[in-house]
Amino acid sequence: MSKQNRIIKICALALIVSALAASCSSRRDAPAQTTTREVIDEAGKRVRIPARAERIITLAPNLTEIVYGIGAGDRLVGNTTYCDYPAQAKQVAKVGDTLQPNIERIITLRPDIILVSTASQLETFTKQIEERGIAVFVTDPHDLEGVFRSIKSLGDLLGQQEQAEKLVSELRSRVSAVESAVKDRPPVRVFYQVSPQPLWTAGRKSWITDLIRRAGGRSVTAEVEGEWMRYSDEAALASHPDAIIMATGGEEKMEVAPALQRSPAVQNKRVYGISGDYLSRPGPRLVEGLEQIARALHPEAFSR
Amino acid sequence: MHTMTIAGQTKMARGARSTLRRTLLICLALLVGLLLVILFSSVTGSERLPVGSSLCALFSGGNSSCGLTPEQSAILFDIRLPRILLAASVGASLAAAGAGYQALLRNPLAEPYLLGISNGAAVGTMVALVFFGTTGATEWLRPVMAFAGALASTFVVYQLARGRTGASPEKLILAGVIVTTFLSSAIVFITTLMDATRIRTFTFWLLGDLSGASTSLLWVSIIAALVGTILLALHSRPLNLLMLGERDAFDLGVEVERVRLTVFLAASLLVGASVASSGSVGYVGLVVPHLVRLSVGSDNRTTIPAAALAGALFVILADTIARTVISPRELPVGAITALIGAPLFIFLLRRG
Repeated sequence: MSKQNRIIKICALALIVSALAASCSSRRDAPAQTTTREVIDEAGKRVRIPARAERIITLAPNLTEIVYGIGAGDRLVGNTTYCDYPAQAKQVAKVGDTLQPNIERIITLRPDIILVSTASQLETFTKQIEERGIAVFVTDPHDLEGVFRSIKSLGDLLGQQEQAEKLVSELRSRVSAVESAVKDRPPVRVFYQVSPQPLWTAGRKSWITDLIRRAGGRSVTAEVEGEWMRYSDEAALASHPDAIIMATGGEEKMEVAPALQRSPAVQNKRVYGISGDYLSRPGPRLVEGLEQIARALHPEAFSR
Repeated sequence: MHTMTIAGQTKMARGARSTLRRTLLICLALLVGLLLVILFSSVTGSERLPVGSSLCALFSGGNSSCGLTPEQSAILFDIRLPRILLAASVGASLAAAGAGYQALLRNPLAEPYLLGISNGAAVGTMVALVFFGTTGATEWLRPVMAFAGALASTFVVYQLARGRTGASPEKLILAGVIVTTFLSSAIVFITTLMDATRIRTFTFWLLGDLSGASTSLLWVSIIAALVGTILLALHSRPLNLLMLGERDAFDLGVEVERVRLTVFLAASLLVGASVASSGSVGYVGLVVPHLVRLSVGSDNRTTIPAAALAGALFVILADTIARTVISPRELPVGAITALIGAPLFIFLLRRG
């Protein structure tokens, strides 16, 4: 009875869909890029990119900050709801948040390159976009050097090499100022608390570990494999940190994990909250985070 | 049919005393096993504690002459022991609730996790967390909302599965799948409302994590475990009769509606409290009552208390694995119980 009817409907639908798909693809093929080149991104993937990217989308706040930092902010056509710095970044079209970008909106914005950070776990999503012929460049920073590398490769990618070099050398001099200020200070043992209960911390592969080391500290979880991890309460208690650092901002209040309540850090009131904007975004402002950590750990070195 | 039930009834009456003695013996054996597991678990962990001094401290209630440093005794008494107690009450709660659901619904596959009841409690907890905050003042809302969620999903599953002849195993599992997937979407929806940095810790909690509970939640779950298990155990005789079928149980004087309501309430209390304190620890309510029935038979007067004790034992062991296998990092305990439980579930399905 209605079975035949349904088959007809399905066929019609299939026809419409394929027609639409065909029209879409032909439209995309039309402005064939005359000059492209091939680069290898930080995930080791070959990416074919236009010689000059005019429409950029960033899918993480650290990348947005880098793009503005190297003077390519005027070519940014889309970013995420987390991208709130610099102030102009808020005016750019939002394509969702880092974890759930909206693919339809991204396609509508006709980007010629999309910048992704590994922090956002976008494996399947990346594939989906690449299948549509849009270049996806993945950055994978794990320490300050990694951030500098990202800045330079984005500079190269977007044709802003000079500004990128300039930015990196400015940042480098700030880093070495910090390093020389704390050079002769005894390292402070630091526990970095991501969340109090359940207790999460940063491990060997996190830039936090690198920041603490450069700021004249030593993360007690520096040798633990991994980037961010659920950490044993008793191991935290036994680690005797002299200072605790945590990122502040968002909904979370500053709250020390119960397991760390007896630590020398809490007893000596050496618990420091530093804005998550500086600590959890591996972009230019990570250096601000470094400076604040160093001031917290070695106030006497910066007393002038 | 009728003569059989009467024969069963007289047999039960005659066996009442011997059942009591048997139950006490089995529970005593399990209690000894539980104490041994607690001792083993308290001297096992990412930090090595001296075994002799730790046992001395445990038996003397924290006597300082045992030779533990203040830090070691903090690890033992402030971190490990509360967590072991939480594992015990969560395990006991889930296993007793499972045994209760299985008897009431006459279905060996009835289990809080598979029926979507854990998910109901999880949604309740998450609503409390997202809309009323994580502060201490509103903490009491979490177990309350979890209980409400568990109870609501229990009734939904039961109503969906219920037929003219009671809930058939197939319909019950189907209803459970529907409710579970529906509530999973609700969980995903609530997660998207959360702060990005909290999502990771929440996924961990959803899988069952015993480390996040505060002292007050620990007490809530201990009390709930005791109250719920005792309530179920007190109804073990009507539950035995219900296993003959609702009709026959009614003929034998069981107030079916009242028993059902009490079991639903008790089981929801058990599931709600354990989910509020430690997320959804899966498969405990399935695996433990099954193993208990395989070894001591299916008389609920024995099965329910024995399942509670064995559940405590099982979750303590699973959590000991979870916190030592990749130390100093940790796994969620739910991953371990599921790793053991899922294959066993398949085995039971094939056999049944």
